[in-house]
Amino acid sequence: MRILYLLFLGGGFSLMVANGFLGREFFGNRRRADLPPSVRQTPGAYRTFLHNNGFHGGK
Amino acid sequence: MSALASCPSCAAPLSFRPGTMVAVCPYCKALAARRDRDPELIGKVADLVDTGSPLALGATGRYTGRSFTLAGRVQLKHPLGGVWDEWYLALDDGRWGWLAEAQGRFYLTFTQAPHGPLPAPADLQPGGLADLGPDGLWTVGEVSEAAFHSAEGEIPWAVEPGATYRYADLSGRNGAFATLDYGEDPPLFFLGREIPLADLGIQGGTRKPPKVGTQSLNCPKCGGPLALRAPDQTLRVGCPSCGSLLSAEGGKLAFLKSLQQPRQDVVIPLGAEGTLRGEPVICIGQLRRSCHVEGTDYPWNEYLLLDSRHGFQWLVQSDGHWSLAVAVAPGEVPQARDGQKNLWTQGHTWRRFQDVEAVVEGVWGEFYWTVEQGERVEVTEFVAPPRSLTRERQAHQGGGGEVNWSLSTYLEPEEVWQAFKLVGAPPAPVGITSFQPNPHKAALAKSALWLVGALGLLLLLVMAESITHRNTELFHRQLNLYDLARIQPEAPGTARQGIPTRRPQAPSGSVMPAPAEPQEPVFFSDPIEIKEGHRNLAVTLSAPVNNSWIGLEGALVSETTGVAELFLVESSWYHGVDGGESWSEGGQAQTVFLSAVPPGSYVLRLAPQWDGKVPPVRTIDVRLRQGVMRWLYPGLALLAILLVPLLMVFRMVAFESRRWQESMYAPNAGSSGGDD
Repeated sequence: MRILYLLFLGGGFSLMVANGFLGREFFGNRRRADLPPSVRQTPGAYRTFLHNNGFHGGK
Repeated sequence: MSALASCPSCAAPLSFRPGTMVAVCPYCKALAARRDRDPELIGKVADLVDTGSPLALGATGRYTGRSFTLAGRVQLKHPLGGVWDEWYLALDDGRWGWLAEAQGRFYLTFTQAPHGPLPAPADLQPGGLADLGPDGLWTVGEVSEAAFHSAEGEIPWAVEPGATYRYADLSGRNGAFATLDYGEDPPLFFLGREIPLADLGIQGGTRKPPKVGTQSLNCPKCGGPLALRAPDQTLRVGCPSCGSLLSAEGGKLAFLKSLQQPRQDVVIPLGAEGTLRGEPVICIGQLRRSCHVEGTDYPWNEYLLLDSRHGFQWLVQSDGHWSLAVAVAPGEVPQARDGQKNLWTQGHTWRRFQDVEAVVEGVWGEFYWTVEQGERVEVTEFVAPPRSLTRERQAHQGGGGEVNWSLSTYLEPEEVWQAFKLVGAPPAPVGITSFQPNPHKAALAKSALWLVGALGLLLLLVMAESITHRNTELFHRQLNLYDLARIQPEAPGTARQGIPTRRPQAPSGSVMPAPAEPQEPVFFSDPIEIKEGHRNLAVTLSAPVNNSWIGLEGALVSETTGVAELFLVESSWYHGVDGGESWSEGGQAQTVFLSAVPPGSYVLRLAPQWDGKVPPVRTIDVRLRQGVMRWLYPGLALLAILLVPLLMVFRMVAFESRRWQESMYAPNAGSSGGDD
């Protein structure tokens, strides 16, 4: 039981420290991606890139 | 100074010191009463029973600075069998002290004039209270009648051969002891305390404490060998060979009756020696007792242990659970009225667990009282795990009774096995006994320090976060969706034509080209400078939606590294009335949180979304902040801190619930009367 408690404490505090002092977020509808230079430089390429990354926007 | 006289029987010299009422001739055992002129012969005394007392006539000692001589002794017979010695101390100041000796304990009392009327024997109940007014409130230990058996030396009261004397033994706190002697009218009041023999500094005439020496005898019924390990205190013997009950009074074995003994399933054999809690002990007797509750018999075994230092102790075994019981003076325990649920003593609250009648079913080995198969006592148990206080009330034949309290401490089976070096492993205990320690309580207590430390650390971290998270606003804009979507506000439903696509011009005269589709509304911010690389980001969308929704698909893109935080945030609010009750769902402002990004210059790309051609609202408010305190993570940490202790609490409560299911006084069960 003690080991389980220590694991729980470690997990809880790790999440809190990661968020509070390193700025990490673990929940929410967001994703990080690296935009290739071609996407950044091509008009409209964002749309295709976002769509291919699961952000099916537009009307 | 003692006056000398002659024995009225054999003319041997007799000494009568001041205060001596009766003297026993050491030669002919004549009992001579002091008279004005010559002593009067009132009878002869029987031989003294060898009780193995460490005291002897003529021994001297000191008490509270006064020296004394053991001038006389009377042996009195108890209604349950056996005798006890009453020694008389002749102090050098002329006073007489009464030193009663029973089962290795000594009680020194002095005659005292009572300050108020003394209660009659009929008004006293064993286990009850005796209010002696200014002389205090006492617990009645015993109300009984003693019979004169024998005597020696000089006795400061008028004994008579064959006489019986009604008495009540009272017990108070811190070893206080008193006796009411109803042999005279008015009754005599003796006040004193239990006293260790060492405090009296006895010299001369003192014998060494009786060793646990074994006396080998044979059963008078079957001839089987019997080894009496406490021959000077044993009154009853259960022959393990033939099951006969034997009397051992007067030092001789006599057959009483044959017993229909139950099956003996004992673990510790008679004669087994061991070291329990640092003290060498020997098992000299085994009892099988049982109680009958709601149609079911609950048997248990009791092992009588002889400890050369402390006297008798009991090892009790029930369903694999073990406990060690020692006697407690009634005066050390507050009175427990019938139905009273709780006791407060020894710094604990003791809860009443059960009231049963215990019956002796089997007898093997030696016992210091005249135990009988079928002997019944009323047992009341109060528990404060890991200990139990048990009261046994027993009526005496011919009236009177006594109360005995014992304090039991729970023992782990392994401790008993180790003490007696028993073979194999102890059988696992069955169920939960009344005062078994709660293992989850101990575990919870051990984790308390971790819990407090973790809560303290959580508080520190929250305080640090609240200081360092400044909720810095990096971007704030109100976006006009109509402008973004190129919609004419005066003709809702008509989208302004967007930028024409690159299509070849249709030749004149041909069909008019189809109107161009509106472009996806998208907004790019000015560069946003993010200086801190270790703080989270929050994008908040606020829109005055009303039974509709607005979504915002976005990306925070680094102009230098190409890192993009892609996100989606939605503002929706629906409400209505259903069956007369209003309802609402969602919120007009929603926030999505983004992980920290490396410091640098970023552009925010925002693409609003909605159903239909026309947006449900004209403007939306978009805000980007950094260093936003989130209570979700301290909440998760708090959950992690409390989850395991809560689980332990649950298990602890479940254990107690199972324990009290077996009790007559379960917390939620109906009980008759009583107070807490």
